[in-house]
Amino acid sequence: MTTPRPRAVVIGSLSLFAVLFVVLTFELSANASTKAKAQANAKARPAPAETKTEAATEPEEPVSEPVESEEPVSEPEEAVLEYVPGVGYVERVPEPEYVEPEPEYVEPEVEEVPPVVTSSS
Amino acid sequence: MIEAIPHTLSTQGWWIVSRSSAMVAFVLVTASVFLGLTMASKPVRKPGFAKTMRALHEQTALAALVAIGIHVVAVFADPWLKPGVAGVAVPFVLSLNRFWNGIGVIAAYMAFMLGLSFYLRKQIGPKLWRSAHRATIVVYVLGLFHALGAGSDTGSLLFLGFAVVTAVPIAILFVYRLGVSRRSSERRHLAAREKRRAAARARLDDAIYDTA
Repeated sequence: MTTPRPRAVVIGSLSLFAVLFVVLTFELSANASTKAKAQANAKARPAPAETKTEAATEPEEPVSEPVESEEPVSEPEEAVLEYVPGVGYVERVPEPEYVEPEPEYVEPEVEEVPPVVTSSS
Repeated sequence: MIEAIPHTLSTQGWWIVSRSSAMVAFVLVTASVFLGLTMASKPVRKPGFAKTMRALHEQTALAALVAIGIHVVAVFADPWLKPGVAGVAVPFVLSLNRFWNGIGVIAAYMAFMLGLSFYLRKQIGPKLWRSAHRATIVVYVLGLFHALGAGSDTGSLLFLGFAVVTAVPIAILFVYRLGVSRRSSERRHLAAREKRRAAARARLDDAIYDTA
């Protein structure tokens, strides 16, 4: 058996050191760049709640101005699932409650009564 | 990612050096202890085997001391840790992972003392040096615990795999070595007793011869 030269151990140790150094450097750099990207994204993009508000206030396409209607449009009632025997569940919109219209106040016409002329002596 | 490398090196360069050198030191200490135990157990009796093992044992031990030195310098120079001279030189002074770093400092001192004592064995005396050199296993155990307790790469599977895969044969070799040393001391004891008996018998024979 030949006596091993110290060079082998030195080269082996240096190679291991270099490999570890490079791997750790790349790992830390990758982590740093990922973190930086995430921070940049967080800064560029507002919070989801703000996005919704902005989208609601600034729509992409211009919307025609709503035409004011004289009569207020009643909101549609929510559909309710109702079980019908033999048919199954049926979506049913509940009928709006009947509200008796208030009678309009009509001012009674006052008949003009001609003034009564009385003769004076 | 490539753009981030200069920034990483400027801010965390010393940390990377300390981690890399620590891992190299651990590998070399493990190899050196393994070779030393194998050498002492004498599993192979081929001509030249002991010489090769001794050379490798010495080279790995010296390389390990250099790696430990680089690790200590890198920890000292780390701008984030700022341990100061006392932090790296006095055990249990560094506040970060005080216990685990403390045993690391002790392991480093022991490694230097036991490793370099090989070159002073004539002055120390071979018998004393040999019994002191047996404590090298403590350096390995303390180094292992220091790495597991304070190391940044304790969670890495590669490191844990290496530590487990090497710790098991080292433990087996150490137990075997203890057995070998006990058997050889018993053999020496028996040989000495036999020698004393032979001497006594010879004296008795002489006495009988003189009387006759």
